[in-house]
Amino acid sequence: MASDAKPRKAKARKAAAPEGTEVAAEASRPFGRLAAAAAPYLYVTPMVLLVGVFLLYPAADTMWLSLTKWNGIYPPTFIGFDNYLNLWTDPVFITASLNTVYWVAGVMLLQTALGLALAVLLNTSPLAELYKRILYLPAAISGAAIGVIWYAIFNNQFGILNASLRFVGLGALTQAWLTTPPLNTFSMIVAAVWQGLGPTIILFLVGLQTIPRDPIEAAQTDGANAWQVFRYVTLPLLRPITVVVVGINLINSFKVFDIIWTMTQGGPYRSSETLAVTMFRDSFVSFEFGYGASVAMVLTVVTFAVAVFYIRAIFRRLEVQ
Amino acid sequence: MTVLVGILAVAWLVPLWLVVVTAMKTSPEYFHDASQWSLPENPLQLFANVRDAWFTSGMGAGFMASLLYGVVAAGLAILFASLGAYSVTRLRIRWPFFWFVLVFSGTIFPFQMYLIPLFKLYQDTGLYDTQLGMILFYTAIALPFCLFVMRGYFATIPLELQEAARIDGCSDFGIFRRIILPLSWRPIAVLFLFQFTWIWNDLLFGLVLSTSDGVRPITPSLAGLQGQFSHSGPPLVLAAALLATLPTIVLFLLLGRYMMRGLTLTAAGRAGSD
Repeated sequence: MASDAKPRKAKARKAAAPEGTEVAAEASRPFGRLAAAAAPYLYVTPMVLLVGVFLLYPAADTMWLSLTKWNGIYPPTFIGFDNYLNLWTDPVFITASLNTVYWVAGVMLLQTALGLALAVLLNTSPLAELYKRILYLPAAISGAAIGVIWYAIFNNQFGILNASLRFVGLGALTQAWLTTPPLNTFSMIVAAVWQGLGPTIILFLVGLQTIPRDPIEAAQTDGANAWQVFRYVTLPLLRPITVVVVGINLINSFKVFDIIWTMTQGGPYRSSETLAVTMFRDSFVSFEFGYGASVAMVLTVVTFAVAVFYIRAIFRRLEVQ
Repeated sequence: MTVLVGILAVAWLVPLWLVVVTAMKTSPEYFHDASQWSLPENPLQLFANVRDAWFTSGMGAGFMASLLYGVVAAGLAILFASLGAYSVTRLRIRWPFFWFVLVFSGTIFPFQMYLIPLFKLYQDTGLYDTQLGMILFYTAIALPFCLFVMRGYFATIPLELQEAARIDGCSDFGIFRRIILPLSWRPIAVLFLFQFTWIWNDLLFGLVLSTSDGVRPITPSLAGLQGQFSHSGPPLVLAAALLATLPTIVLFLLLGRYMMRGLTLTAAGRAGSD
């Protein structure tokens, strides 16, 4: 866009110079006309430059770097798809992929299902506003601080959970919550659900409020019980928002980083990494930038696949209507 | 059923309660308490712990830096996005939809796609570990979503207002500044709240693009302090977590309604792309 605007402006100045003394309506002069034509591009210049330099160029460069071997000091060397081929035999990558699947499944089961159930209960509750505020409160806390808080609860030596279990005589139930794989991943999923449940409930509540009362009342007069009303009336009508919530939670759980970074840093021995943590460690701890870039690419392809699936689900619904 | 929800809501507050109570203890007090549930001997110890946290591991400097980044970058992003949105909705620009899609495509990639080239770019240009570098990046990352919201909002402002102002001799920029912007204060406020919170809570880019106290934002500072958890003592670390959480919690308690509205906006706009 800048290249689009600048030549025009330069031409405009040359053309305007000999006429500079004329008193005429600005728009009627060549300078004024061309400046007026260029002006709209100046408005978009800052945003296009910032996004181009700091987001789009890096994203394109990562695609290229994933085909190279690069330690950050010598120039990158092109190695084709070797990084990708190496991923499938790399135990760290395999563990991280498995953990990412755990994260997706855990968040789906706990956050999405529980969120839906609570939203249905809250929808008719007189205290809904208060409950919404309470359950949403952890969502205002950064992932890093969430990790710190739950580390204080889960850590082995002087964590609050183990201390409490011992104190009430359940010492046999104490666990190394953050150092035993895959238990450490499940512990961290609990922390993530504590943070993410509120937003899920809010989104489902927005959906529930758009559902007309008539079909529900009709089903009730026909003698349907609460579960049947939910299963055969509410749930199908809630489908559009369910698709959105499932999509958001799915994609966010693919990319979880902050909570893990402050709870286990992916350890011990890289046992609790997800793909996002593996990408970070390979790049900024091991300085294998090309390899890290290929992990970023895998993450992107998986995320895009989910997004395409999810957009298609929305469009299929629109066609049905 | 309602009782069940009530129990869950109480359970949801328990971790926060434990954090606050623990942050009010001294370190020896914490280690001598077998259950970790007893009340603090002196709740005012909280202020001593927060003060200690402020001077540990660059937390205080990080607090000030994050405040700067949150306010300036969110403000700049909204300004640049509004200028762009004005151009693509109201000015004679070619391919308005192209410019919109170009900038909005900045939301489709996972953040991991940006990290390596940014790190290299920042080292090569001297932006690495500078406040300017942090502000530029946070402005860029906040821009696409701001553009999405402002473009949508500007489209709802009646054209008649603009035409009336033009007849009164208002320039394009005058219309933007005197009419369009003042009418848009609501989405601007929601966006500011949302982007400030996002920048304040960011960990990943703070870790990659900065390292020294005074530049490093508060979340990477907190993560660094967490590394010495047993050394500094849980009360100090949790006091630091409270310090790092304070601004966003205060904003939520004051303006929670707008935050939740911002969430539904995000769901519509980003469709969870980041």
